[in-house]
Amino acid sequence: MRAIYLIARREYLSYVATWGFWLSLASVPLFMLVGAAIPALVQSAQPVRHYVIIDETNSGLDTVIQASIERERREQTRAALEAAAQVSADAEARERALAAFDADPVGLDGLDDALEILGMEGSADMIEAGSGLLVRVDAPARTIDALRPYLVGDQPVSTPSGERSLFAAVFLTREAGSDLPLITYYSTNVTEQSLSGAVRRALRDHVREQALAARGLDPAEIEALSSLEPEMRNLNPETVDDTEVGAADFAPYIVAVILAIMLWTAIFSVANMLLTSLVEEKGGKIIELLLSTVRVSDLLIGKLLGVAAVSFTLFAVWGLIGTSGLIIAGSFLQDVDPEIAGFLGEAIQPGLFLAALAYFMVGYLMYGAIFLALGSLCETLHDAQTLMSPLILVLMLPLMILVFAMRSIDSLAVQVVSWVPLWTPFVMIARLPSQPPLWEIAGTSLVMLATLALVLWGAAAVFQQGALGHANADSVKRVFSRKKPVTDEE
Amino acid sequence: MTMPALDVDGLTKTFSGFPAVRQVSFSVPSGSITGFLGPNGAGKTTTLRMALGIIRPDAGKALLFGQPPTQRTLDRVGFLPEERGVYRKMTAEQVIALFARLKGVPAAEARRRALTSLERFGLAASAGKKIKELSKGMAQKVQIIAAIIHEPDFIILDEPFSGLDPVNQAMLEDVILEQAKAGRTILFSTHVMAQAERICDRIVLMARGSKIFDGKVDEALSVVPRLVTIGVDSHDDISALLSRFGEVTRLEPDADGAAVWQIALTSGVDPQHVLRACVEAGVRLTRFEPVRPHLHDAFVRLVSASETAQPAGGK
Repeated sequence: MRAIYLIARREYLSYVATWGFWLSLASVPLFMLVGAAIPALVQSAQPVRHYVIIDETNSGLDTVIQASIERERREQTRAALEAAAQVSADAEARERALAAFDADPVGLDGLDDALEILGMEGSADMIEAGSGLLVRVDAPARTIDALRPYLVGDQPVSTPSGERSLFAAVFLTREAGSDLPLITYYSTNVTEQSLSGAVRRALRDHVREQALAARGLDPAEIEALSSLEPEMRNLNPETVDDTEVGAADFAPYIVAVILAIMLWTAIFSVANMLLTSLVEEKGGKIIELLLSTVRVSDLLIGKLLGVAAVSFTLFAVWGLIGTSGLIIAGSFLQDVDPEIAGFLGEAIQPGLFLAALAYFMVGYLMYGAIFLALGSLCETLHDAQTLMSPLILVLMLPLMILVFAMRSIDSLAVQVVSWVPLWTPFVMIARLPSQPPLWEIAGTSLVMLATLALVLWGAAAVFQQGALGHANADSVKRVFSRKKPVTDEE
Repeated sequence: MTMPALDVDGLTKTFSGFPAVRQVSFSVPSGSITGFLGPNGAGKTTTLRMALGIIRPDAGKALLFGQPPTQRTLDRVGFLPEERGVYRKMTAEQVIALFARLKGVPAAEARRRALTSLERFGLAASAGKKIKELSKGMAQKVQIIAAIIHEPDFIILDEPFSGLDPVNQAMLEDVILEQAKAGRTILFSTHVMAQAERICDRIVLMARGSKIFDGKVDEALSVVPRLVTIGVDSHDDISALLSRFGEVTRLEPDADGAAVWQIALTSGVDPQHVLRACVEAGVRLTRFEPVRPHLHDAFVRLVSASETAQPAGGK
């Protein structure tokens, strides 16, 4: 026990007592914050896109499209203003601000007054972000051949903010014999579809309204018909009261898959740590001295426990930050969006976390022991990478399965791969919220534990041979190539 | 009778069909300094690894203090392996204290001993320096300290002098003698015969995986014929006169033109007998030089003899 403790302690301190460890510890929450902010940053950094509409139908469809786009922009801005008001103001101020915004029922002229009431002067750009990016300009030409130089960036168009490149041109025509307009959309940007989508939506709604009006319906009836929607109640028979299934009910499933992916990432990086440290130890000729001092099993277990302690430190810190973040965000969003708050509340699943911890431990010991055994056969990291490739493929497979199985976690294929012991930790943790049968949990766990024992035993044997150079990467290659062994022994 | 520190019996190890060690048996008596000698590839390191339980023998057994190698018996052993290295990112003090603790020394005592030893070895100023900041010789000293920091009963040193400059070699020689004086048993392998001859009470000689000699240094030296070189300034028939004492060979005359003869004495013949025979026969001697044999000669002779007896095999 003394040797195991000392080896584990040395291994632990060799990571924890470095700047790199604390930097990586801090960097993950930091990157998560940046990652969470990236969509908003990308959205706010979107350039203003200028477009032209050539309406050859001469039926005012261009005006319909422009009005629809501006209406959508107003709705988005109003939703953003409402969310900001929920967070920063009381109910009375909230109502006054929205009333001020609605003073201009079609545009954004009321925004500044609304923001002043909320004490958020100067935040108009932020509130408008993502909503005012499509600006119609006068068409410099009427044919696609004449517009082409503007669309490919050879010539600029005049816009309210100066000369800019033209993002898209929309041609509206009507084919002979058809009442419906034909939209022809030109843009060199084939990935950004917000304008084409807005144009299609605007004209779809318009032609439907026109058709209904032609059948004698008045606008109020048309609006009532358009808003017709069946009511749906989504219930879970396991729930005693008739509470509908909501976002919060998905939380355990999503959290489980996230945990499985985290488990995979953690095991992979931690096992890599073990491999690197062992290859360095071998390169530094420390192994023989250690083996003359402690038993090979103590060395193996000590190293595994030391690095496991490193990962638990990471988990503890990240878990603390994550749980605090979820609790704070949950209470903060309680007023703003109770559904998201409920989701965050349900995301904290102590039982699932405990199971994840157990699966992590077994998975880590299995992969860690294999990585250590393979590491003992390698003199350099280059050797190690060669031997690791097949194992990395084995590790990659459950990740792929998880990605594909997210929508049908209880499919037969997923049930079958749960029984592959090297994949059990990842697949089973993802399956736990769907409550697989107890015999399946027990059976897969037993197979996994038996495999763990086998792996530990085999790893110790390989480690003993490899650590002192009695076997190496070439030995493994020879096993597969069936070449004659070569010895190099004192 | 005192229990030997190490007793190996019939140790055999084969690697992928190549016999690295064959049926090796010897004992290291308590309190002795035993040299473990042999050319490269003789199987010394493999034998030591088996003795320490680092690798399992295919046949035979090794007993430390009369018991198979266990954590308890290994705690009484200090080992300096041939392939040296310590944790480069740890300080000298930390490395020594770690190995002391691994051998069962309490934490505070381990630190105290580490500092005291570093001071004794002239490394007090480097106690807080990381190993990677030390010179190769200094790092090697740290490892030597780490091997003996727990005051083991039995010290095994595999090629301890390699890589050390003459000053540090002399220092290590002193350390070995000092440890022996303190009653510790020492087994060390080396290629430096002069050191083995100076330090060892007994030697075990290996060649091609087999033990070819095991005994006291004097016994090893006795396998080499003692030589006597004489210069003769008369016309006596030296070959006829001295052939009863051993093999007589005529060498090149010396600078003054005197004839030079060398007599390889038969075992048990005293050089004084040669001198007396020359004086009685009235031979005019210009020089008389009995040459003491060295362990190096014994080593070469024993290894050559083993190669003649056992033709090359294996790799």
